[in-house]
Amino acid sequence: MIERDGGVPLSSRTLVCTGCGCLCDDIQVEVDGAHLGRIENACAKGAAYLQAAFNPERRAQSTIRGQGCSPEAAIDEAARLLSRASRRLILGLDNSTLETQSVAIDLTRKLGAVIDDASSFSYGPLIERIIKKELPTCSLSEVKNKADLLLYWGANPTATHPRHLSKYTYYAYADFNPAGWYPKVTLSSIDVRQTELTAMSQPAFKIKPGGDRELISGLAGESPTVTDQARQLSELVKKSRFCAIFCGLGLVHSLDGDCSAFTRMVQLLSQSIRMAVIPMIAETNMLGFTQSLRKQTSYVNQVSFADGVSYGREFSILEQVHHQAADCILIVGSDPFSTLPQLLLSKLHGVDIICLDHFSTLTSEAADVVVPTTAPGVESGGDLVRLDGESVALAELIKGGFARQEEVLRQLLQKVRP
Amino acid sequence: MTSPQQGISLTIVAHEDVHLAIAKMRDGWGDSYQKMAAVARLSRADLEKLGLKENAKVELTGPAGSVVVTVRSDASLEAGIGVMPSSLYTNRLASYEPGSSTLFSKHIESRAVPTEKGITPVANLIVRRNRA
Repeated sequence: MIERDGGVPLSSRTLVCTGCGCLCDDIQVEVDGAHLGRIENACAKGAAYLQAAFNPERRAQSTIRGQGCSPEAAIDEAARLLSRASRRLILGLDNSTLETQSVAIDLTRKLGAVIDDASSFSYGPLIERIIKKELPTCSLSEVKNKADLLLYWGANPTATHPRHLSKYTYYAYADFNPAGWYPKVTLSSIDVRQTELTAMSQPAFKIKPGGDRELISGLAGESPTVTDQARQLSELVKKSRFCAIFCGLGLVHSLDGDCSAFTRMVQLLSQSIRMAVIPMIAETNMLGFTQSLRKQTSYVNQVSFADGVSYGREFSILEQVHHQAADCILIVGSDPFSTLPQLLLSKLHGVDIICLDHFSTLTSEAADVVVPTTAPGVESGGDLVRLDGESVALAELIKGGFARQEEVLRQLLQKVRP
Repeated sequence: MTSPQQGISLTIVAHEDVHLAIAKMRDGWGDSYQKMAAVARLSRADLEKLGLKENAKVELTGPAGSVVVTVRSDASLEAGIGVMPSSLYTNRLASYEPGSSTLFSKHIESRAVPTEKGITPVANLIVRRNRA
């Protein structure tokens, strides 16, 4: 215990930050009841997340069609809407614990519904190849001090994962060059624009939007004409012993779901040096969701339980919304109304939307029913799978007075009629 | 020779911006969010083609809609490339091609035209639903 001015004791705790996919486990906070005091070790993004989690004005409120209600009434209405619907979609869950994801899959199965997460339009194809061991990977602790080439491809961790470089990779290395300025590792990047990271990279490869494929085919030896950039990058990789590639959304979007050439490139390079691919997932537990769903269905996303287990593009969030396939959508811990194109969102008129979240978001504002839940990692514990596949346990820091996401889902599981 | 009013074609590259993420977390969809999100950075060559100076306004029209934003000069950019933080502004421009595995919100083919219109208020970009 430490004391603040006036001698009143504050509780000093260490927690895992759930502000991004890094899941930094060394965050020190001072807590006075439900109030957050000093925060140490967190980046600005993580600190803003924690401050928001403690801010009552940012909390979601129980509502039914915009009118305040009790949480119990909101859950009853959610169960009624899910029961009367004939085509249900459950989505989100990338920032939920493994426990929540497991109950959500049970609920989807009982309802004969469709379940999907954001991996279906981002890291899904890459994650699937990593899970199937077609792409080599490793933990971030294996990267630190061992990889001699850190290659960020279509990723800018200074914006998405602010402590990635300092806690896990470049600045975390123990050995520095003789002058003491630079860690003894080569930092390189591939991006379409200049960023804080490309300014640090030696070398940085600047490509045209969509130019990733040309670089990949050059590295894989599949292109009759090899560009100077591809030759330079190939030499850089081949003179290393252990190259860790951190794949960002820039690369993922260029590949548009087809990771086959990228996989062949990595497999070819793996014949001469050690390679590891780690996706720069921004969500806290996308890897956990994809692993959990695959264990139960053999598929990482885009699954329908309407007639046994079916998988297909038609069950992706984007296709479901575009084709107005669902008549009731349950969104758990996600804010698609702030991330999806407005053209798609405009197709949701007339669809019943239920939102479970701790924050007030554009999605909770748009939802027909809102059930507020605890903030994972602050008001409730649980288990997550970090972007490198390591398990991370969240602890309950304070009692929030809200139900946990999995508790709400369990109640829905009991109340709904398929 | 084309006139600035005819506009130019741009590929808008949308990217994550940590300052915007923090502003959203702290203040929601308020003034600070709008100030940071309603900005497009263009090459000097493109600003010249458009006859625009720093902090002038441009109307961007993508496959799905239009927004008016402030322009800034970025010497690191090549002609034909614009850069914007991923936000409700890029979500207005972006489309979705059925069957695609990604959102077309990362590289958005757009047209830029100088304008005297006001910056698109962030409130106009929030999708509101008619609840039953």
